Formats: sequence, C-alpha cells, structure tokens
Amino acid sequence: MTLEGQGLVCSYGPTRALDGVDIVAGDGEIVAVVGPNGAGKTTLLRALSGERRPDQGEVSLDGSPVSGADPGWRGRVGLVSHRTGLYRKLSVAENLNFFASLHAVPNPRNAVAQALETIGAATLAGTRVEALSRGQCQRVALARTLLHDPDILFLDEPFTGLDPAAAAALETALRARRTAGSVIVLVTHDLRRCLDLADRVVVLQRGHKVHDGETDSADPVDLLRYFTTTAADPS
Amino acid sequence: MNELRRAWLITLKDLRLEFRTGGRLLAMIAFVVLAGFLFAFALDQSQVAGRDVAAALIWLVILFASTAGAGRIFDAEEEEGAFRHLLLTPVSRPAIFLGKTAANLAVIWLVTALAFISLTAFLGVRDTGSPAAHAAVFLPGTIGLAATGTFFGRMSRHSSLGDTLLPVLTFPLLVPVIFFGATSTARVFLGRPWPEISGSARLLWAFAVGSVFIGAALFRHVTDE
Repeated sequence: MTLEGQGLVCSYGPTRALDGVDIVAGDGEIVAVVGPNGAGKTTLLRALSGERRPDQGEVSLDGSPVSGADPGWRGRVGLVSHRTGLYRKLSVAENLNFFASLHAVPNPRNAVAQALETIGAATLAGTRVEALSRGQCQRVALARTLLHDPDILFLDEPFTGLDPAAAAALETALRARRTAGSVIVLVTHDLRRCLDLADRVVVLQRGHKVHDGETDSADPVDLLRYFTTTAADPS
Repeated sequence: MNELRRAWLITLKDLRLEFRTGGRLLAMIAFVVLAGFLFAFALDQSQVAGRDVAAALIWLVILFASTAGAGRIFDAEEEEGAFRHLLLTPVSRPAIFLGKTAANLAVIWLVTALAFISLTAFLGVRDTGSPAAHAAVFLPGTIGLAATGTFFGRMSRHSSLGDTLLPVLTFPLLVPVIFFGATSTARVFLGRPWPEISGSARLLWAFAVGSVFIGAALFRHVTDE
C-alpha cells in the first residue's frame, strides 16, 4: 500500500499554502512532516486525507486516485487535528460511541473500551468532555482516531498537551500500527520525537518541499536550520 | 450501515446536545412567548378579532424563531471542530443533512406548539378548529422550514456576514410556506371544510419534499472544500 501526493497545490485566496508538493508514504512507514509555522503542513495533511480538494495535483493510493467524496476512503482514514473534534456536552463514551457507530464498528461499546484502554483513558469514559483538561481531550481524540482501526493515519501535532505517560502510550500505539502495516503521516514541531519515531522526514517551507529523506541519515542540525532560516528564504 | 440509521444517530446526538446546551432552545422559546405577549398588546382587539390575525402571527413567529435558531444549528459542531471529523466518517452528506434537519424539525415542532398555544391564548382565540387539520398543515410547513433553515444555516457559516445573511437568503424562499401556511391555518380556525384547505396543504407538502430533496442533494456543496 502506497499513499502518494503528486504536485499538490492548495491556495487560500492569493496565498499558495502548498506549491507543487510531492510526497510518498508506504505501508509500515511513519513519515514526519516538519517545518516552521505557515509552511503548509496542515494543508498538506488536509489534502492527503481528502478533507480539502487540491487546486492542482492528485492524491492516490496504490496508483488509484482517492477523494474525500469516497466513503470507502473516509472509512480507512483516521485523523487527529489541532482541535479535538469532540462534542463538549457529551461524555467521552457518548462521543466515541457516536463516531464508532457512524464508522459501523462492530460492537462499538467494546471498541470504545479498547480504544480508551490503549490510550490510557479508560477512567474518563463517563466524564463530559467539557470537564476534561487539554491533555485528556487529546487522549480521547486519539482514542476516537483509533476506534475504527484505520490503516491510514494523519496526525497533526498529536503529542500536544500529552503528559509523558500518555505520549509514551501514543508512541507505542503508533509503533504497533506501523508494525501492522499502516501508513502514518505525522505533522510535528518536535524534532527529537520526529527523528526517534519516524522512518522518513519531509521538510516544508512556504509551501515547498525542501527536504525528503530517511531519518537515520538526517542530521538534526541540518533539520533545525530549516526552522531557523525562517520562511522568508526557502532556498 | 444504512444511511438512514446514520442520519438517525446524528439526530439523536443533535437533540441530546440541544437539550444539554439549552441556549438555542431557551432563546427560541423566550422569543415565542414574548412575541405572543407583545402582539396581544399591539393589537386593538376591539377593532380586530384575534382569530382574524392569529394564523398570520403564528406563522410569522415560527418563521422568525426558526430562522434565528437556524444560525445556531452548527454551533456545537464547530465548537471543537467536530464537524470536520463528522465529514471524515463514511456517512454521506445527504444523511448528515437529513439527520440535522430532523433534529431541527423536532425543535421547530416544540416552538410551533408553544407559538400556537401562547398566541391563541394571548389573542383570545377560543375555538381553534380541528387539531388534526392543524397538524396536517403545520407538518409539511415545518418540514419546509427545517430543511431550508438547516441548508442555509450551514451556508451562512461560510460567509463573513454569518447570521445576518440568513434571513436575507431564507425569507424570500419561504414566502410560499408563509402564504399557504397562514391561509390554511386561518381556514382551519374558521372551521372551513378540508377540501377548502387541502389544496394549500398539498402545496406545502410539495415545498417540504422539494426542500428536503434539494437540500440533501446540494448539501455537499456547503460542507466540502
């Protein structure tokens, strides 16, 4: 299974958030997308997940174009975004049961319990989301993402707000997904975690891809340079 | 999974949120009661019988309350970005539209019942006519209001004008609902036979079915980027 974005262009008004970006992610691979603020990381994730149709370019899975309009595709995708995507007035279990049912997960209650257990949030099931801390919300959002056992994961800053135990649980869950053959695209600002967890790292600056390589051979100092040279001069 | 079942899950979720949040519902209820109260003072009942104007006022109050509420249908969806995740589930856009329209309809029914009771009471309408005939008129009328409000409630989210845009978009479209709804209800108040009312009721049904189908078919254009 290979997920591929070719020549992706996305604009917001006159601003090109992505300008001809190519990206490939294979099964059993974690691809980290890093870059300074405004580099186009989140837009890239939205284009790959089918949330936003690119103005130009194509997203394909094993050579076949995919689109957010295809329910089959949406059923295979899991997304963690900046915002939790949870209903504040519903309890954790109500939120997760709702999404599990929409995904037609067999035995949703068991799936919810298992997802909460995986992410170390089993005790939160009956709590309303509005009463949770930011970190707890992030755990629940992660549990929601894993509910329907997606084989393609898009994670936008998933470690934000997590305490060390929850971050470790998430790392373990991601490694298990990678072993199971999932495609994982991870947007992060955390270079240490990126190099530790990902197989490849893609660096974006001002909507352009400026680096794409194995993390084993990546020089952290070089990667850090992309952040400090600012977005004004992507070359 | 059956799309109707998914739509039903969305309806249940929306109603649960509606009753737990309460803000939109309370605002609509307060508006309906206060409007009825003020109309009773504004109308010189020695010159104009309450029964002659009750139908028009009831429909206008329902229209204003439902339009004001329509702007808030997607509040809970947007609060933490949940709508984005709803759109990423395999549920179809028409099913989302139907689910949210059904929840909106339930709220509008509540408002309609309250508007009917409060206005007939405040305007001193003693003989309100056949309840079954009223139901046969209000049912299609409110379905039309709910579907139109849900569709344009979503559309107004994309505009910088927001809620200001909503009445501008919906009121011209809802002229048939108000016209046929108010004339039919007035005839029910007057105890006219059903054949005098059924023509308008059929047109209300045509509007209701049309707005549901068109809204479901076009909903993806106001949700997807």
